[in-house]
Amino acid sequence: MRLSAWADRQAAAVMILPAVLILLAFSLFPLLASAYLALSRFSLAAGGYKIRFVGTRNFAKLLIGSEQFHFLGTFGRLSVLDYLILGLAVASCGYGLWRYLAGGRAGLLGLAGRLIAGLLALALLALALIVLNAPGFPGSLVVTLVYVVAGVALQFALGLGLALLCAQPLKGRNFFRIVFFIPLMVTPVGIAYAFRMLADMGKGPFAPIWQLFGLAQFSWASDPWSARLVVMIGDAWQWTPFLFLVLLAAIENQPRDQVEAARIDGASSFQIFRDITWPAIAPVAATVVLIRLIEAFKIIDLPNVLTNGGPGIATESLTLHAFIAWRTQDLGASAAVGYSLLFVATVTCVAFFNLVAQRTRRHEA
Amino acid sequence: MKLRAWLSGTAMVAMASLLTSVGQAKDFDGVTVNVMTFTGPQIAEPLQRRGPDFEALTGAKINVITVPFSDLYTKLLTDWASGTNSIDAAVFAPQWMVDYVGPGYLEDLTDWAAADTALQADDIAPFFREFSQTYNGRTYLLTLDGDFQMVYYRTDLFAEAGLTAPATWDDYLNAAKTLHGKDMNGDGQGDYGSCIAKKRNAQSYWMITSVAGGFIQAKGTSEGVFFDSASMAPLVNNEAFGAALDVYTATTQYGPPDEINLDVGDTRSLFTTGRCALTLDWGDIGTLAIDPENSKVIDKVGSVMLPGSKKVLDRASGKLVDCDANTCPHAIDGVNRAPFAAFGGWSGGINKAADAKVKQAAYAFFSYMSQPAQSNVDVTIGKTGFNPYRISQFDKIDQWTKAGMSEAAAKDYLGAIKASLDSPNMVLDLRIPKNQAYQQVVLDTAIARLLAGEIDKTAAMQAIEAGWNELNEDEGVDEQLGFYKATLGQK
Amino acid sequence: MTPARSLHQRLLEPADVGAMAPLAKLACYGLLGLWTIVVLFPLYWLLVTSVKLPIHVDAGPVYLPFVDFMPSGHAWRYIFVELGNDTLRPYLNSVIIALGSTALAVLFGSLAAYALVRIQYRVTVGSILAFILILAGVVAAAWRFGVPWPLATAIGLALFLLFLGSLNRHLKQALGNNDILFWMISNRIMPPVVAVLPIYIMFQQLKLLDTHLGLIITYMAVNLPIVVWLMRDFFAAIPVDLEESAQIDGASKLRILFTIVLPLARAGLVACTLLVLILAWNEYLLALFLSTADAQTLPILVAAQNATRGPQWWYMSVLIVIMIAPVILITVLLQRFIAQGILVGAVKG
Repeated sequence: MRLSAWADRQAAAVMILPAVLILLAFSLFPLLASAYLALSRFSLAAGGYKIRFVGTRNFAKLLIGSEQFHFLGTFGRLSVLDYLILGLAVASCGYGLWRYLAGGRAGLLGLAGRLIAGLLALALLALALIVLNAPGFPGSLVVTLVYVVAGVALQFALGLGLALLCAQPLKGRNFFRIVFFIPLMVTPVGIAYAFRMLADMGKGPFAPIWQLFGLAQFSWASDPWSARLVVMIGDAWQWTPFLFLVLLAAIENQPRDQVEAARIDGASSFQIFRDITWPAIAPVAATVVLIRLIEAFKIIDLPNVLTNGGPGIATESLTLHAFIAWRTQDLGASAAVGYSLLFVATVTCVAFFNLVAQRTRRHEA
Repeated sequence: MKLRAWLSGTAMVAMASLLTSVGQAKDFDGVTVNVMTFTGPQIAEPLQRRGPDFEALTGAKINVITVPFSDLYTKLLTDWASGTNSIDAAVFAPQWMVDYVGPGYLEDLTDWAAADTALQADDIAPFFREFSQTYNGRTYLLTLDGDFQMVYYRTDLFAEAGLTAPATWDDYLNAAKTLHGKDMNGDGQGDYGSCIAKKRNAQSYWMITSVAGGFIQAKGTSEGVFFDSASMAPLVNNEAFGAALDVYTATTQYGPPDEINLDVGDTRSLFTTGRCALTLDWGDIGTLAIDPENSKVIDKVGSVMLPGSKKVLDRASGKLVDCDANTCPHAIDGVNRAPFAAFGGWSGGINKAADAKVKQAAYAFFSYMSQPAQSNVDVTIGKTGFNPYRISQFDKIDQWTKAGMSEAAAKDYLGAIKASLDSPNMVLDLRIPKNQAYQQVVLDTAIARLLAGEIDKTAAMQAIEAGWNELNEDEGVDEQLGFYKATLGQK
Repeated sequence: MTPARSLHQRLLEPADVGAMAPLAKLACYGLLGLWTIVVLFPLYWLLVTSVKLPIHVDAGPVYLPFVDFMPSGHAWRYIFVELGNDTLRPYLNSVIIALGSTALAVLFGSLAAYALVRIQYRVTVGSILAFILILAGVVAAAWRFGVPWPLATAIGLALFLLFLGSLNRHLKQALGNNDILFWMISNRIMPPVVAVLPIYIMFQQLKLLDTHLGLIITYMAVNLPIVVWLMRDFFAAIPVDLEESAQIDGASKLRILFTIVLPLARAGLVACTLLVLILAWNEYLLALFLSTADAQTLPILVAAQNATRGPQWWYMSVLIVIMIAPVILITVLLQRFIAQGILVGAVKG
């Protein structure tokens, strides 16, 4: 009895401390230890292992050394158009910053955050343009960004399109919901193998179709972009239903009376979507995209199983890159790649949360 | 199958007395041995199949734990290095031994093997007994499988086109070119001249070494194919390696469209279903091709020692020079051939940190697997993945004809293995510390990028050279050179 | 109202506001049906492949059992009879680890989520800074200078408590509940590949490598943020007056949570549990690093089927099918909760 009384008095601490301690042990400690590992060289020795501090050597190797092609990519030449795109991007970032400063509500933290996010975005854009041009070839960083940006965009577009079309009073909607929930339950490794079977040009179920189109001699696995596309299709299969379900629920929650009033006033479907539906679902859309962004950065199973990262290094994601380094006991390089991924993912997600997700909520209020 | 297993099971009860050198029958009641290897059926299958027999015999329970091939090396290393010691014994590549023996993870089996008469060690081919199983003169492994790369070709197609077994890589390319596009399995569709496993993070780095061997090594096994044994300078940025890369990339033209995404499993299935005229592989094809359930090329397969080259590397200049008595002392008909003992054959090793009883049980199990009564049956079954490594396995043709091979095919197959095994110019696999990083990362990545068209030949050679030099420096050039010379038997 | 509608009108316009035009309805069903096929076909293919002989796979596609080919149970037999224990062990491991970690994650996550809804916290910047600095010191001391880690931790804890008071006086800026929540969720951003190496080393010290407990703790930690995130919204939706009256009656906070609040949030609780269960059941990367033999889980076994003899599609399909089946079963049984649970939670974000 006395124990429960004590527990109740300390409820504030008792209730939150377990979660906080667990997260500290499994996030803050790994974060610090990983940082140290990224700055050192790991080697096995009799009876255990040695860890030697080497400073920023692991990062230097990735950014300017012998692993640059693997992490950043091989650099190509920029065309005039690319310079224009870059210039435009710099200008719009500058404009955004100026508006923020002129808005009169700028804080030191906000400014620093915006600067970091803006510079990183510009740097990644420039990198993507450089490595995606003719003699260049993207490394695992840009490939991961392609999976994240193009993949999530594709899933969002598909999910929203399906949700909009089907946000109508239909019978049997619950059935579809359950069916669409299934892909989320399949282990990604399983999905990867299933898609390897499906995508086999000779033994897969679509082999007769390929032959019909004279594509039997084409191999998606030998072409970088088709290989990446197959990876993204597998990813989309698993996650599009998730976006669809959540967006559908959001659309159902939109103010019905407004829609009906607008329809009676003769507003077109597009107008209704733009002025009523979109503002109503924007916060949910932002949240669900954020969830996807967070998870999308971690992709490994699909490229690992479908192509082992090939052809060449064309489908290798950052997590796979770190994993391959770990496999050959290069723990320092593995941690350095992982840390770079963490940096890019954190800046992207935090920036998205602050600059996009929060803004949609302000509209709501 | 069942009957045979049962028969060998009863035969084993008789064998039990032979095991007494290690332990009495039922001596290991209550002992469980965790044996790790890569996922079956190959290699794991015979272990899993014979585990219960062994348990009936000795009382020791064998748990076979499987991980993907590409994770096996690290899994073992981390389990033992971290002191977790969940794995009591493992069946793995002798190539990795140096990384396990150095820090002292592996039990020294020299004395056990010497006392083990049932093992019939003299019957194991000298290459495995003296090189593959040992490190620094001590035995740490028991060989369960003999591994060489060889070239396999379709005898029916070759006879039809008037071709003979390839002696040089030019012959190989020529045959592949001639036969490419022909219907080889009677389904009315064009098939492929050459199928080689070129998938990244799989086995392709052995394939390129098989091609390069004949161009680089001419003066016998102790010359070595990976580094200059005086300076530890990588032998990958020269005309010879370039010529090998040319051959390797040229075979792609005559291969399946997705060859770059095929591992040996895929190419084996292609070859045995009759879709390829030539392939480069370990001994497995020989037995897989006679499996009536899955093979469409029964008795149509010829095997031959790896082709070679009429020009070899001059190590001083880095140029290719013509073969003569001086440059190629081991040449046959002016062709320098260098069979590649890729991988070295799956072998069993035992964790030093395991309990004494468990270690004994593990040793008894490996010895049991290797004894002729079991091994001579297993090597004739395709899905075991075990290839011949005992002298009695080469001599007793009847074991092979019983398994379904024609006598001619058996002689041809065993002859090719034996010729490779007897060659004084055999290429040894890399056995220096971190060989995984040299081969599986640096070499493999560069080759994959070359095949994918990301880089050209020159850049690929430079990338391998730079990567290997960097690793040499990380580990210490002199230390690595010492290890390298030791594995080649140089002082 | 308008009795005479043309055929064109009847097809393209809804009969009344809020209903759908027949053609639009057809299009919707068509699209939903199409996506249903997209979703189900890969699963069907797995099921069919699991009863194929190798020859059925290698010789090009066949589609319908009994029509195109005679199904064979050889792969099922191999997995369940010949492999027997080697399949069963990882399966049991997966069950134990998934259930154990889910139960713990939901328990601790719900506690924290409820606390964040009903109790106001203030964490000063000073204490956070002190904590991070001292933790870094402990790690460095234990790792670089070989101080035994229990000693380093004890000293670190003492220093932290010592400095806490003075630091709090100087750095007074405080973080509130929303910041704590954001911090918790942000843990999910961390790629597992970053965390797993230190966890590996930590577990090695604690002798937790390749144990069920090790994986249970790890999965609990990685899934905790999701529980907090989802459950917070469910708790926030529960009217506070119920709890207040209970409090007046003298019930403790924990008792209120377990007897009043959790039952009310049942739908969310079930949905959230299911989600976490699925994530733990399917996890691959962490299991690959942290388990070798005794605690090996199912996804590892599935991934391992890519043998040198070529991917053994039939065995792999059997394994994937037996992995998915129980989860689908649970979902269908609990579908009522999912429809209202996960969606409502996610919508609230």
